[in-house]
Amino acid sequence: MVKQANENLPMPVFEKVRYGPWRLENMSPSQSVDESKDLQENFLGLKVIGSTTTHHQLSADLVEAGVLLMNIKQAYQDYPELVKNLVGKVIERQSERLAANNYDQFNTGFFLYIPANVQIEPVMQVTLNQIADGQGDFIARVLVYVGENSQVKLLQRMRTVGNHASKASVVVEVLAQRGSRLTYANIDGFGPHTSAYINRQADILANAKVDWINASFNDGNTITRLASHVDGEGSVSHAKVATFSNRKQVQGFITEIQNTGRHSLGHIFQRGVILNSSALVFNGIGRIIKGAKGSDAQQESRVLMLSRRGRGEANPLLLIDENDVTAGHAASVGRVDEQQLYYLMSRGLPEKVARKLVIRGFIGEILSQMPTNRAQQDLIDAIERKLQYERV
Amino acid sequence: MTTLKIENLHVNVAGKEILKGVNLAVNTGEMHAIMGPNGTGKSTLSQTIMGHPAYEVTAGHIYLDGEDLLEQGVDERARAGLFLAMQYPSEIQGVTNAEFMRAAINARRPEDDQIGIMDFITQLDEKREFLSMSEEMADRYLNEGFSGGEKKRNEILQMMMVKPKIAILDEIDSGLDIDALKVVSRGVNSMRSPEFGTLMITHYQRLLDYIVPDYVHVMMGGKIVKTGGAEMAKKLEAEGYASLRDELGLNVSLTDEDVNEYVMGD
Repeated sequence: MVKQANENLPMPVFEKVRYGPWRLENMSPSQSVDESKDLQENFLGLKVIGSTTTHHQLSADLVEAGVLLMNIKQAYQDYPELVKNLVGKVIERQSERLAANNYDQFNTGFFLYIPANVQIEPVMQVTLNQIADGQGDFIARVLVYVGENSQVKLLQRMRTVGNHASKASVVVEVLAQRGSRLTYANIDGFGPHTSAYINRQADILANAKVDWINASFNDGNTITRLASHVDGEGSVSHAKVATFSNRKQVQGFITEIQNTGRHSLGHIFQRGVILNSSALVFNGIGRIIKGAKGSDAQQESRVLMLSRRGRGEANPLLLIDENDVTAGHAASVGRVDEQQLYYLMSRGLPEKVARKLVIRGFIGEILSQMPTNRAQQDLIDAIERKLQYERV
Repeated sequence: MTTLKIENLHVNVAGKEILKGVNLAVNTGEMHAIMGPNGTGKSTLSQTIMGHPAYEVTAGHIYLDGEDLLEQGVDERARAGLFLAMQYPSEIQGVTNAEFMRAAINARRPEDDQIGIMDFITQLDEKREFLSMSEEMADRYLNEGFSGGEKKRNEILQMMMVKPKIAILDEIDSGLDIDALKVVSRGVNSMRSPEFGTLMITHYQRLLDYIVPDYVHVMMGGKIVKTGGAEMAKKLEAEGYASLRDELGLNVSLTDEDVNEYVMGD
């Protein structure tokens, strides 16, 4: 393919989200180094701050099985062929301008490679932290390859260290080979002064399953695309999204599953909470390609409006080009469930406490699927943090 | 002694008058049962006492020890000593049973005297076992995926944990098999004391074999039309509400008026 100048590529389309002023097309990668050396971490996985690896732990049996987990820069040095084969394979460089910019500029991220027939029991955890010190932007690429019949649960966290205004671009490509299983859970937590473009996509081959548990708790303006291509016979993907928008935050989501394979299944489930004068737009897209007989596309998007000044939308879209399918959608914008609130208060909980629990319950589906207790608690804390500006 | 006193209570639901002048007093140390045909306002009474926002009081009063409950919010009523075991408890994912019950207990205690985690677990384990509930229920999400019977047990467990003065049990027997009914009854009976009173709402006399009431009230057409002892429930079970209505000469239509005719005709 002829390499087009990035300026000529279209910007990604997020209906009803005006993100032009964020200038996401104009970033320069940060070279900042993390100076903190006090980290005593103990978990299976990887931590990258800025573009520096600060923690790396992989058990001997996984190393022996050929599992690779490392900073993307190191992966380029040590396994150039593997990386070059994967990068741009799921999200083509020229699909849109921000993806192309990321492709050209990324200098951090990680690479996870799992060969065929490896079942990883413990949850693999990867943290990517942005350093916002006013010296450039966070541009990260993540490549995840799950070999045939392999299985892994991945928990990915992101947050911002420092509070200078900056931008972030994160592109995640997942390739799930035949019969593999991946749960990709993430807690995104960029700071209030970071405007972010986050694009996660998976190609899911026959009988493979990829479930996204996307807890999007950024405090800054964000556009997030999450897509699964259920390409093979019996491929399965659930895309579950939970987000809170607060203060003056603007967030746009596109969550899309494309059914190409016969008897493939794609379910989208989105929950969004709107606080203060924030804005949130959910676009759910279920696309069934001609020939994907017996496939199933469902989506449910619900927005909880907690502020009169907020703005929220849930737009479902089903694009179906095959007759022999099942498909459905539900979308709503509503308020706190009065019956649940009443129930909790009837036990003596003050309204404020009861309300918090009801709001937590609204994203309970995502919370309950966070793969570790710690991650569940972190999410509960993140909800508290989001609710602190609320005046009831 | 604590007294829940209801005076001439009139309640509208969606603009329609359901309660048409209910008078009732429940003291701690007493077990009361309210029976009555479908659609007669029994659940409306329980929800109104608790303060459900959909129920509009148009006249009358509800007092707890002289305090006007109608001036209080749902949570204040609960902290004042009321409890309502609901017919359809809500499910809330992401909030565990244990967390919820601990929050309910702590809501009744001053901020500098919250219940310790060990204390709480000890109490919970003891009561859970008393109700033959599994250990894992504490970490399950509030009522989520619970069967009908599990939900009822969970209501009783909550009651035992927060130790109310007056508990209203709204059809706590519905959907229970006989073993579960025995367990739930055991829980309620364990609460019997001079500091605890209950108002049970039921369709069936069966419950009252296990939790023997001191008083039975019959509600019809939005009013309590007759009060008696436990033996009255047995008589009602045998003869049906229609015959009581006719005996009292009331002009009330009953939803399932003709059912006893079929039963008797068998």
